[in-house]
Amino acid sequence: MKLTMTAVIALLALIAGVGLAACGSDSDTTAATTTAGEERTATEEANGTATEEAAAEGDAMKHEGEGVETIVVRNGEPVGGVAELEYSAGDEVEFKVRSDVADEVHIHGYDLSKDVAAGGTVSFSFPAELEGIFEVELEERAEQIAELRVNP
Amino acid sequence: MSLLPLAHALAARDDLPIPAWLFAWGASIVLIVSFFALSVGWRVPRFEQDRWRPLGAGLSRALRGLPVQIAAGAIGVFLLGVAVYSGLRGTEAPDRNFALTFLFVTCWLGFPLLSVFLGDVLRPFNPWRAVARVVGAGFTALAGQRPAHLAYPERLGRWPAAIGLFAFVWLEIVYGAGGGVSVGLSPQAAGVGALVYSGYTLTMMALFGTETWCRNGETFSVYFGMFSQLGIFSFEDGRLGRRRPFAAATRWATVPGSAAVVIVSIATTSFDGGSEGAFLNALEWTFERLFDTGFGLTAAIRVTDTIFMLLCAAGVALVYWIGVRGMASTGGAPPLRRLWTGFAHTLIPIAFAYLVAHYFSLFVFQEQAQFTYLLSDPLGTGSTDLFGTASSGIDFTLLSANAIWYVQVAALVIGHVVALTLAHDRATAYWGDYRQAARSQYWMLAVMVTFTCFGLYLLSVANA
Repeated sequence: MKLTMTAVIALLALIAGVGLAACGSDSDTTAATTTAGEERTATEEANGTATEEAAAEGDAMKHEGEGVETIVVRNGEPVGGVAELEYSAGDEVEFKVRSDVADEVHIHGYDLSKDVAAGGTVSFSFPAELEGIFEVELEERAEQIAELRVNP
Repeated sequence: MSLLPLAHALAARDDLPIPAWLFAWGASIVLIVSFFALSVGWRVPRFEQDRWRPLGAGLSRALRGLPVQIAAGAIGVFLLGVAVYSGLRGTEAPDRNFALTFLFVTCWLGFPLLSVFLGDVLRPFNPWRAVARVVGAGFTALAGQRPAHLAYPERLGRWPAAIGLFAFVWLEIVYGAGGGVSVGLSPQAAGVGALVYSGYTLTMMALFGTETWCRNGETFSVYFGMFSQLGIFSFEDGRLGRRRPFAAATRWATVPGSAAVVIVSIATTSFDGGSEGAFLNALEWTFERLFDTGFGLTAAIRVTDTIFMLLCAAGVALVYWIGVRGMASTGGAPPLRRLWTGFAHTLIPIAFAYLVAHYFSLFVFQEQAQFTYLLSDPLGTGSTDLFGTASSGIDFTLLSANAIWYVQVAALVIGHVVALTLAHDRATAYWGDYRQAARSQYWMLAVMVTFTCFGLYLLSVANA
């Protein structure tokens, strides 16, 4: 019986170790995923119409406004890949979409939409009331341009 | 394009990953509870007999009466018809078409839930069974004799259902990824799929007999029937009764192929969860290799996903096999084959827990759509407003992210504890000596804890 208990404790210790290891690797996996995502975007742009210059410009654009992010849409696609918008519940979500094509910007879940003219800009400003991950897309093209993440 | 939008396109919202602290808590609770479950001294089997007792005869007569049977069958056929018609003739927008939400959320996720608590509720509503019975009755009336059937090869067992289950989820999440946009499965494809499956099922029912096919091959009867084994209500010889919870499950896996059904269930849910995070790198890697070797975009995605879904099945089977192999090494163990079928039912609560953990929020939110605008405007074309609810929406404030996380972790922990208890109970029946039984169960403990931690891990990196 003693042996049995020792075996159980040893097994549990082993499992706990595995559990912790899995927990620890959490952030690594996330980082790796993001890298893979960026690589893919880069490959796409090399293949597609947008130049690397445009990507750089787009990135710069996003950080320029201090707070109010602008998602730039070129040829119906988000420059720099699907933008990530992250907020905490209760925050004010604020961002702009500048598009070279006419379409309708739709925020799923929140179900907000605004028409954008070719070459035009639309702004969104609303409280982050719903928790979860929501798609922001160009409705007519069914093209995702941003992912809105609202943490509790 | 990207592999990212694989998730159900009919949902406007995705779950946030469960935070690391909750992951740690979940895993710790599992370990502690498992430890106590083992050491508390469960020395004699308690689930081997289900202690079935009949309920009121009046209730049985009412439920089994011809009017109720005809009404339930007609409802089933009608709803399948609405789903097929909406799929084929309705809008292409997945979230506005009745077909996708009805088939893949309301039925696919609703029936497991109802089955666990109420018993085999699909059976009276099963549209194919209803049609086949009417055709059979017509044949008998015209020909003056009952239709003759081929003998069902018993060795085939539930394998057709296991393959059907794999094919269904494949259609839902692998085939739908085609085209490189986040459409998921199109309503049209769902409609065609339902028609093809109906043709196949009715043919098989004609060949082997309606009830024989429902027991073995009809995917949904077998799959939902599996979950109903956990619950307390059942019909025995035409009478409704109640039994010990979980007890009926102990006899479920004796039919060949049963282990495959429950393994495929866990594996396909794991694949769906894993493709939102845990498997992303591997999926990307495989996709790029295939794409580079000349596969088309759609083909490369589908082949990648198919490979990983098969790998998931192999992985789940391997973990279970290790548990079985380990048990076989314990003194006085029954033969390997008997262990493999003898413990397969212990995975059913895990399969259910995986479903709840992965699809709970989708179900709660999407059912609001089902019972409001999808019911009033099934085609999604804005042309009808049958119940005046066509303009309603989904209230996404109904569940907070925290509430979803707690339900996910609770489902995994509870499912694991039930699974472990079932395994321990079966071991005491097989080994007789409870000490040997307990020793054999370190292996199943490892299996269960692996599945729970894997489930928690998938949730913690999904959409991270």
